[in-house]
Amino acid sequence: MAGKRWKIDLEESLRIAMSALRANKARGFLTTLGIVIGIVAVILTMTAANGLQSTFRQSFSSVGSDVIYVSRFPWVMRNDFFLYRNRPRLDLRSANALERRLRGSAIVNPTLGGRQDLKFRSETMEGISVVGTTEKQTIVASAQPAVGRFITDFDVTYKKNVCVIGTEVRDALFGTANPLNQQMKVGRFTFRVIGVMEKQGGSFLGGPNFDRQVFIPISTFVKAFGGERSQDVNLAVKAPSQEALADVEFAVIGEMRKIRQLRPSEPDNFSINKLDTLVGTFNNVMGVVLLVGLLITSVSLFVGGVGVMNVMFVSVTERTREIGIRKAIGAKPHSIMFQFLFEAAAIGLVGGLAGIAIASVLTAVINALVMPASVSVGILVIAVVVSIAVGIVAGFVPAWKGARLNPIDALRYE
Amino acid sequence: MDRNSENGHAADGTALSLRDVVKTYVVGTDVVHALRGVSLDIRRNEYVAVMGPSGSGKSTLMNVIGCLDVPTSGTYSLEGQMVANLNEYQLADIRNQRIGFVFQTFNLIPRANIFHNVELPLIYAGVARSQRRERVERAIERVGLANRVKHKPNELSGGQRQRVAIARALVGEPSIILADEPTGNLDSKTGDEIMTLLDELHQAGQTIILVTHEDYIAAHAHRVIRLKDGIIESDSPTSGRAG
Ligand SMILES: Nc1ncnc2c1ncn2[C@@H]1O[C@H](COP(=O)(O)OP(=O)(O)OP(=O)(O)O)[C@@H](O)[C@H]1O
Ligand SMILES: [Mg+2]
Repeated sequence: MAGKRWKIDLEESLRIAMSALRANKARGFLTTLGIVIGIVAVILTMTAANGLQSTFRQSFSSVGSDVIYVSRFPWVMRNDFFLYRNRPRLDLRSANALERRLRGSAIVNPTLGGRQDLKFRSETMEGISVVGTTEKQTIVASAQPAVGRFITDFDVTYKKNVCVIGTEVRDALFGTANPLNQQMKVGRFTFRVIGVMEKQGGSFLGGPNFDRQVFIPISTFVKAFGGERSQDVNLAVKAPSQEALADVEFAVIGEMRKIRQLRPSEPDNFSINKLDTLVGTFNNVMGVVLLVGLLITSVSLFVGGVGVMNVMFVSVTERTREIGIRKAIGAKPHSIMFQFLFEAAAIGLVGGLAGIAIASVLTAVINALVMPASVSVGILVIAVVVSIAVGIVAGFVPAWKGARLNPIDALRYE
Repeated sequence: MDRNSENGHAADGTALSLRDVVKTYVVGTDVVHALRGVSLDIRRNEYVAVMGPSGSGKSTLMNVIGCLDVPTSGTYSLEGQMVANLNEYQLADIRNQRIGFVFQTFNLIPRANIFHNVELPLIYAGVARSQRRERVERAIERVGLANRVKHKPNELSGGQRQRVAIARALVGEPSIILADEPTGNLDSKTGDEIMTLLDELHQAGQTIILVTHEDYIAAHAHRVIRLKDGIIESDSPTSGRAG
């Protein structure tokens, strides 16, 4: 019985709230602007965070977490480039030396990289990353050829002109045709395509795009493009397990220092890079995105809330007489309260839905132009809940004020 | 002549009884004594007119009786129940179920149509939708507006609006109908129609208390209470009745 009564009360409250909203469309809509912006901000922040995270994971899935990279420069440099500028180059000789010293405890894969133009018949691509590597590439990094095979020991030893291409290179040069055993140009030289790597999912915020890259034997790279006299060798060192990574890192530093014949007082003149370095940078980016998003969101939701509160105070004042009438015929404080809370919640919801609509459009634009992004159901639910909650919180004091009115004073109000 | 038409509080005959009711308003430094000790009993099915000059406390008295306002001192019991001890929720229930208030200015809710206006007391009483419909229609029919249920108050004449207000007052089958100058905003012909309606309600067993400045309106009642400066000046049967 009591439950039934509540339901009847709620129905009436909802009915009044809706008719009040309909009567004050323009005012309600303007007030919701803050909420609209807040909801857009919250959705975009979360979408951006999700997008960044998944793009990051995809882009660097091939950078194994049990691998360290030895290179001349650190991956992440700020304004300290001058510290590293005078470091000696990493050459193949020291790469081989490190490999020998670590044999049995870690796998070492040297690579050389450069940019070359590609050409197949009339199709061309300019400035594509060409990586000279060895058969150990597929052990050290997780990406495998999806079609054909990878470079072998034999290809490296005999400096074969063979290449393994990324999916974007395949799409651009060969379209839907089968690229295997086709002859394509890398720079001035002709290479036979022996494999296509599996898709690794684009670039992360302008970082390397592993799908837009060509692998060739490192020996061929040196012969064709000059090699270590003009480029730095990068060394990937794979530990037998993630737990062993710290030990391997320690060993690598030690061995490298011996190879470089560094005295104990001298600092390292090489850099150790690993996924952690990137994760750290990523977390910084993410932190900034979340912080800025949160700031914009809370400021605009606060402004929106204040707006709703204002409108609700006006609404309560305008309907003081109506409150008096309702109380005179038996409305209880909570009925009046519900009536205004519903109205406030509905204003919030209207703002939230508008925000969702705008954010969806913006997300589609981001998806098309910047990075893969989509609004998830979870985010939508959060947006709806947040917008209603802002309305209710903002409407609480005005609703309370209305509910507490003395019937006779309210009736007398002009 | 005895001010109280009955001695004591005959349990079944008494609709309400006031003893030494005082209502004082404090406005800034001014103290206004709107009621200065009013005692009166009203029996079931009485038809009472309250008269008196402007500012004599008629509306204040009605508001106290209607539980819209609480007395500063004195006691008020409605059908044997002491009103002073009731909380806000219990007062709301009394206003909802035992009192039907008709105002000079109609006090309908402008955005709601006639049906909904009349339906409101039942909604606040928690009556199920299915039962509401029939009762609302019956009340609207009783005031002769069956063909106007979908109209908004501003589409009706003053007399029709007051009929709606009466329908709203009686839909909850209250013990008492209170009407504070129900014809005050109407011309005399329309006022007569409203009074005919109240007469019918009285004949059907309703207790009615109304405030008026007009003798010909008061003549519909069977008892006239005259207020002056917040106290009862006289309380007598109407001349027509008492002979
Ligand atoms: N809310 C209030 N605050 C202060 N004084 C009030 C208030 N309500 C009524 N009064 C005063 O109480 C006195 C009685 O007022 P009341 O409205 O009961 O008179 P009334 O007999 O109904 O007059 P009228 O015939 O003009 O309607 C008046 O002096 C009025 O000014
Ligand atoms: Mg009055």
